[in-house]
Amino acid sequence: MAERTPANSADIAESDFAQIVRLHQSMVFSIAQHFLADRSAAEELAQDVFLQLHANLPALKSEAHVTFWLRRVTAHRCIDFKRRRTLPQVSLDDTPEPAAPAHSPDPFLARRLRQFVASLPEKPRLVVILRYQEDMCAEDIAEVLAMPLATVKSHLQRSLALLREKVMRALGKVTL
Amino acid sequence: MNKNLIPDNDANRMDEVLKRALRREHAPDGFADRILARSSEAALSARSSAAESILAGSWLRFFTQPLVRWATLTALATAMILGVHLHSVRRERARGEAAKQRLMLALRIAGSKLQLAKSRVNEINAGQSEKPEDKE
Repeated sequence: MAERTPANSADIAESDFAQIVRLHQSMVFSIAQHFLADRSAAEELAQDVFLQLHANLPALKSEAHVTFWLRRVTAHRCIDFKRRRTLPQVSLDDTPEPAAPAHSPDPFLARRLRQFVASLPEKPRLVVILRYQEDMCAEDIAEVLAMPLATVKSHLQRSLALLREKVMRALGKVTL
Repeated sequence: MNKNLIPDNDANRMDEVLKRALRREHAPDGFADRILARSSEAALSARSSAAESILAGSWLRFFTQPLVRWATLTALATAMILGVHLHSVRRERARGEAAKQRLMLALRIAGSKLQLAKSRVNEINAGQSEKPEDKE
């Protein structure tokens, strides 16, 4: 998408919006899916994010701005969605098995990791998802989540340690 | 499953495994189409609600009720008929007034002519009554 000028930003063509949806649907849906571990809820949330984008599109100036906005709104909506539904903390046994990509070298490990990520507390979970799904650096994550950089780094370190511990424990159980 | 798949000291390996596990997934089939359909609906309803909100803040909202609309139309029609009627009454009255003025003028003229004729007759009568005395 080209840089928007004030003149054309007021008149956003539907085809422009359709192009943005097709370009970013995978990103928005995946953040929601990895956070909620619920495919239908993730789709519902992602649709709401894009509808909100449709209403706010004239205010967005560039492709980078759209991406930033989508990540930020999706992250906030994920937390809101979880709190509004007052779902119990996801337990590993109750977490549905997300669909594993066919080309994954170890589908079992990937599936278990997604379950472990889904069981993290809300904010650390978002930090991990943005770090590893979106390949974002800590500074960018801090900006998207409006969080101090030190907090992001701390969440990452603790989450990684926790995930490593859980993986080791799970793999240990498997091998026992 | 190998226990040494993720050794404690291998942070890069953990990163790689997490990146693979949290790889972006494809959105469900027809996801974009459903959003586009919903956005079209939302745009339509936004337009109609914008029109409603313009009316809501205005006194024109009063006329959106069918009964009020009919009452307003009836009142306007009655006012028009009354207006036309009053206009024709006034015009007739003005015509009558003008005719009255013309009649009054004619009467005044006729009256003055009569007065003139009467004084002439009086003069003639007075002249005739003086002549026999002269003869005498």
